[in-house]
Amino acid sequence: MVWQTIWSQIIDLSLFAVLLRVMTPILLAALGGLISDIGGAINIGLEGLMLMSAFTSIAVGSSTGNWALGVLAGVGVSVLISYGMGFFSLKMKVDIIITGFAVNIFGSGFTIFLMSKIFGVTGNYSPSKAAPIPTVNIPFIEDVPLLGKLLSGHNLMVWIAILAVVFCMVLIYRTPYGVHLRSVGEAPQAAQSLGIPVTRIQYSALAWSGVFAGLAGAFMSNGLTNMFVKDMTGGTGFLALAVVLLGNRNPIGILFGSLIFGLASALATIVQTVPDAPIPSQFIQMIPYVVTIAALVFFAMRQKRKLATLT
Amino acid sequence: MKSSRMVVLEVSGILMAVITALLCGFVVIFLTSSEPFAAVSALFLDPLSSWFNVGTILNKAVPLILTGLALSVVFQSGVFSMGAEGQLYIGSFLGALTAVYLPGLSPWIHLPLVVLAALIGGALFGAIPGLLKAYLNANEIVTTLMLNFVAILLTSYFVNNQFKSHGGGYAKMENIDKNILLAKIIPGTSAHAGILIALAAVVVVYLLLYKTSIGYELRMVGKNGHFARYGGIATRKIIVISVMISGALAGLAGIVEILGIQQTFKQNFSAGLGFDGIIIALLARNHPVGVLVAGLFYAYIQVGAQTMQYGSDMPREVAVIIQVMLVLLVTAQAIFTFIKQRYAKTEQKAVK
Repeated sequence: MVWQTIWSQIIDLSLFAVLLRVMTPILLAALGGLISDIGGAINIGLEGLMLMSAFTSIAVGSSTGNWALGVLAGVGVSVLISYGMGFFSLKMKVDIIITGFAVNIFGSGFTIFLMSKIFGVTGNYSPSKAAPIPTVNIPFIEDVPLLGKLLSGHNLMVWIAILAVVFCMVLIYRTPYGVHLRSVGEAPQAAQSLGIPVTRIQYSALAWSGVFAGLAGAFMSNGLTNMFVKDMTGGTGFLALAVVLLGNRNPIGILFGSLIFGLASALATIVQTVPDAPIPSQFIQMIPYVVTIAALVFFAMRQKRKLATLT
Repeated sequence: MKSSRMVVLEVSGILMAVITALLCGFVVIFLTSSEPFAAVSALFLDPLSSWFNVGTILNKAVPLILTGLALSVVFQSGVFSMGAEGQLYIGSFLGALTAVYLPGLSPWIHLPLVVLAALIGGALFGAIPGLLKAYLNANEIVTTLMLNFVAILLTSYFVNNQFKSHGGGYAKMENIDKNILLAKIIPGTSAHAGILIALAAVVVVYLLLYKTSIGYELRMVGKNGHFARYGGIATRKIIVISVMISGALAGLAGIVEILGIQQTFKQNFSAGLGFDGIIIALLARNHPVGVLVAGLFYAYIQVGAQTMQYGSDMPREVAVIIQVMLVLLVTAQAIFTFIKQRYAKTEQKAVK
């Protein structure tokens, strides 16, 4: 029963379309996590940033009737909070983990607060006139049988996410900024002595993670669902953190990691909706987390062996 | 060695941070509420206005104190575990299983068994990230965050299937026998005996950390791992032990919450108690006595947020602003270094 459903969805490529949709927020948030991670700061506040952006973008998008304004506002708010994170962690010397933790609490609570104060609702807000992020239908190609389904009819943000992978590749490995970013992350003192403005680079790394987490959040409310539900990110920010490590801190690795995680949650959704599934959905949902721990162990063992051969 | 004056400085710094955080909350209330005075008084006075509310504060404080202790222990050994939430679920799940599926025992034997099961469950689940950290140097922040999800999903599966209560559709176990639920201790309130357990735990953890050799070694590992290793301390073993103690305390927090409030294991019943514990430990500077004070204070703010929601036009999430500012200000090293430097300067002047 379940296998038939899955198989038929693979055949008619609807699983592929779902996979792309589910993968997009994970991928975007993970790229954000990647840049701050490379700059030497694990940003565990992705979840909170996404929630703030998700709320802002649907609120602004629906009230102005313009999805682009909504997305911009969401990203803007997310970047603003990232700068706040920078202020507290770099200037006030709060541990970056604690700062991220605080942002998560803030994002979860403050969006509920705003929802109740602005729209007078609790739990969820679905605007009567939503302005969703459009889907891209490519002329001619959309009519080609297989190719049409593969390439056409995806949300604009899916393409932005894939372009973002290329963008990050270039930014990190092909620009002077990327060199600075990596050196700040690996040896801040050495970077400082070479005259690299360490603090400024770290601020910018956090801001980039705000940009990508903001895009991810905006897509979740304004693209996937057309509504805001409290705590709607449901751990995507933490999944993204895991993807950063699973992808061995590399944009291409992160793309594959996001695909795996996206596949797991797409399958979990199918299993949940089909009665009498042979595998409980909880176990499928568990896969990403277990895989991440396994990957972490694998990388750690490899590191250890490397060290052993060096000495 | 910290001099007593340094402690006074530290405490007054924390108090300043608390006051500033409360002021931030005030500002938001005054900016957004149409009846700010009613809101503020509901937030600060209503929790103490009746014995019933005081009882609620005590009940809320119990799991906060216990998870706060759990994280204090592990933070003191220099391991930044965020896994109390998962350990709480696994521990209390095993505890609840023991409570529901071992009927017919005398409560005097049964209750200790239930608590023991919760302690062991939490400790074993804590051992996983502990071992990974100690022997493979796997980042404990990530492993514990991942394991939290594993624990929540795993218990959710069991409580939806094998161990699901027969009555009703809600995902929970059968109700636990009334005989082993924690008794109410203050007449006219809902306050249960969990607060006594929490107080006892504060004492035990204090003695463990400051009066035993394991506690000494644990704190040395946290202060300077290399130094501790050269000094002959088995650092890896200590790290695993500290995460396991922490897990046991988290499991205790869960089972006490179940025996005192929930009456059985329900899917997702904790809703972040393990994360609240992080805040408590940070506010308390990882000191058990501080955890007691911080836990009570935090519970007071939570109950205040609820009474404010009833008594005014403000949603209770306003308390989140106070919580976030508390966390950030109390952990801002820049502020505390500044205070100490100022103090050192005035000291020098006094000597001259």
